[in-house]
Amino acid sequence: MAEFQALQTATAEWKPHQIAKAGDIASMAKAAGDLAEVVKKTLSLASAGMEVVKLLAQLQSINPLLIALDALADEVLIAIQNIKEAGFWYLYVDPYFIKNVAAEPAFTYGFEQLRNPAGDRLWLAKDDTGNFAQTTTTPTQAQLDKQEVLPNLATPRKMIPGGFNPYEGKGVADPLASMSPFPKFSVQNVITEFTKAFDDEGDVPRYRRVGGAPKVGKVVYDKDGNSYSGWDPVKEFGLQLYDIGKDQEDGSIVKDYKAARKPINSKIAPGKPNILGSTSYVGGSGAIAIIIAAPSFDIFAETFDKFSQMFTDIPEFAATTGKGLLDSLNEIITPANTVIKLTQCDTNYGTFEAGDVIGGEIYGGVAEILEVNADSVVVSTMTTQQEVSATDDAGNIVRYVTTLNPNEDERWVDMEIVGKPIRQVDGLNPFITGDTVYEMEKRGVRTDKTANYVIRGQDTVGLPPPARVYPKVGKVSMEKLAVLPDSTPPDFGGIQIKEIIPGWGEFFQTLENFVLQLKGMISDSAAFIQDMIDMIKGIEAFLQGLIDAIVEFLEFFQITLPSTGVYALYLPNQSGGNDGIKSQLSGAGGIPDLGYAAGILFVATEGDVLIAGGGSKNPIDLLALVLGLL
Amino acid sequence: MAHPEGKWAEAEIRRDDIKDLMEKTKKLATMYSDLLAMKREGWENVLKAQLKKDAKEKEKQNG
Repeated sequence: MAEFQALQTATAEWKPHQIAKAGDIASMAKAAGDLAEVVKKTLSLASAGMEVVKLLAQLQSINPLLIALDALADEVLIAIQNIKEAGFWYLYVDPYFIKNVAAEPAFTYGFEQLRNPAGDRLWLAKDDTGNFAQTTTTPTQAQLDKQEVLPNLATPRKMIPGGFNPYEGKGVADPLASMSPFPKFSVQNVITEFTKAFDDEGDVPRYRRVGGAPKVGKVVYDKDGNSYSGWDPVKEFGLQLYDIGKDQEDGSIVKDYKAARKPINSKIAPGKPNILGSTSYVGGSGAIAIIIAAPSFDIFAETFDKFSQMFTDIPEFAATTGKGLLDSLNEIITPANTVIKLTQCDTNYGTFEAGDVIGGEIYGGVAEILEVNADSVVVSTMTTQQEVSATDDAGNIVRYVTTLNPNEDERWVDMEIVGKPIRQVDGLNPFITGDTVYEMEKRGVRTDKTANYVIRGQDTVGLPPPARVYPKVGKVSMEKLAVLPDSTPPDFGGIQIKEIIPGWGEFFQTLENFVLQLKGMISDSAAFIQDMIDMIKGIEAFLQGLIDAIVEFLEFFQITLPSTGVYALYLPNQSGGNDGIKSQLSGAGGIPDLGYAAGILFVATEGDVLIAGGGSKNPIDLLALVLGLL
Repeated sequence: MAHPEGKWAEAEIRRDDIKDLMEKTKKLATMYSDLLAMKREGWENVLKAQLKKDAKEKEKQNG
C-alpha cells in the first residue's frame, strides 16, 4: 500500500531526540529543526495518501496546506540556521558565577576605631587645657597630622578591614562609607578584560589530529584546497586541515576535492576571533558588547539572573548542575546557615539567645543566632589539677595532686546554636575552634546599608569597672559542616524552559514509536487502520500540548530585559580586524563606572555571503537585529 | 530608536531569534495538526467503507 510505504520511507530519517541539557536553547532549536524536517518529509506521505483523501474530495483543501507547510518548514530551518550557524565568538567576563576573573575587595586594613551607638567614629581631640576629650567631630587631615586629634582606637588594638589607616591617606574619610561585603568588579574592569583578551597571544584556535590522519611530513590542505607542508600529527595547528582525498571511482585523479577529502584534525579550542586561523587579520569584523552593571549587588544579581535566562544557549548560562546563577549569587547574599558548638559560655555575663549577634575575636566570623538547641545546653565539663600539701604530726610534708572541678557552681555552660553567617567586607569568615566569641552590637552601616558590628561594650573598656559593659562570651568548640540553604524557587523563565524541553523529547519519541508500530502491522486490515487513526489522534493531542507549551514559553520571551542595568555597545562591521574592535571598545563612552559588573562580548568576522536580509556579510549585524539593537 | 553605534547605551535586550523560531514552530505544529486531522478523517472514512464492505460481503455469504 502506497501510504504505508511512504510512511516507512518518510520516517527512515527520524532520529531519537536526546535531551542533552535541560534549558538549553540549542537543544530546543535542534528539536524545532527535527520537527520541520519531519513535516517536510511527511509531506510526501500526504501526497501518497491522496488516493484515500480523494474519496473525500478533500484534495482541493489539502494541496495549499501542503505547499504552505513546506514553505513554513523551510523558514523554521532557516531560523535555526541563523541561530546555530551564525558563527560568533563570545567572551564572557564573570567575577561572580563562573568566576573567570577575580573581583577584589575594596578595603585596606587598619586599627579598629571606636564608634558611638549612631555609628560615628570617636576621636580624641586636645582641648584648651591640653587634655584629650572624646568627640565625634571628624577632624581635618592637618589636625591628624599635627596630632591635635587622635583616633579613639579599640583596646586592645585590633586590625580589621576598613580600620583607621593613616598611611593610606584616608584618615579623614570614613571607610564604612565605601566598603561593601560584596567583592567589586567594576564596569571599567570588565571593559579592560574585553580589550585584554585580544592581546592574549596563546588564545588562538587549536586543532588536534583525528583518527586516520596522514603520517608526518605528508602534504595537507586547507578548506580552500591550498597545500601545506610540515604536517605532524603529534602537533596542534591553527586551522582546519584535510587530506588529499580518494581517487574517483573511475580511477582518475581527484575531480571534486571537496567531496573526496576528509578532515584530518578537529577544533579543540576556538581561540580569539580569527579568519582562517589568523588572529591578526585586517578585515571585516564587528562586535556587540553587553555589560550588566549596577551600583548595588542585589540589583546586579537580579538583572544578571534575568540576562542569563535569556541566553541559556550560551554554555556558561546553561543550567547544567542544577544550581542556577541566582542560587550562586544568593549564596553570596544569603550564605547557608551554620551550626556552631560553643563551650565555656560564661553565665555571669548572660547566655546567648536567639537574635544575638556573635563574632569571633581572632578569625572574624560573625553570625546572627537563629536558634539555641535547648537540649544542647549542659554544664561545661571542666577539670583542673591542684597540688595539695599536707603536714603530718611529725612535721613531714606530703604533696599530692588532686583533680578539681572549677565549674562546680555551673557558671560555664556548653550550647549548640544555629547561626546565620553575616558577610563581612573581607568575606565570610569561619568560626575556628578555640576562638573566643563575643556578643556583638551594631555600630554604623556600610555603603550597602548592611550593619557594621563591633564587640558589645568595647568603647567602655577604658572606663572604671562599674561603667563597663560586658558582652556575653563563649568559646568555639566546633563548627559543623554548613547545611544547604533552602532552595530559591526558580525565576519565571527558568521553570518554563525546563518544562518545554522534555516535551520536545517526548514528541519525537512518540513519532518514533508511531513508525515502529506501523512497521509491525499488516497493511490492509481494519485493525491497522484503526491503530493508525489512534496514532494520529495521539500525535494531534501531543502537538496541541506542544503548542500550549510554546505559548507559555513565548510569554517569557515577550518580556524584554529591563534596560536599567543593561548596557550595550554595538560596533558594526568595520575593516580594522581585532585591533579595530579593541580600540573602539576602549574608546567608547556613555557608560557609568558602576561597582558590580559582568559582561559578554560577541565578535564576528565578515563572511562571503550576504545575511541579515541581504544588508551585511557579518553575522554580528544579524545578532544586533535579533537582540533589538538595530 | 536605534541603538547608537560605537557608544555604550542602556538597552532593552530582546531575543527575537528565539521568538521568531518559536512562533514559526508553533505555526508549523498547528498546520501539521490540521493536516493530520484531515488524514485522520480520510482514514476514518476508509475504515467505515471497509467495515461496510465487510458487512455486505458477510451478508452476501449468509445469503
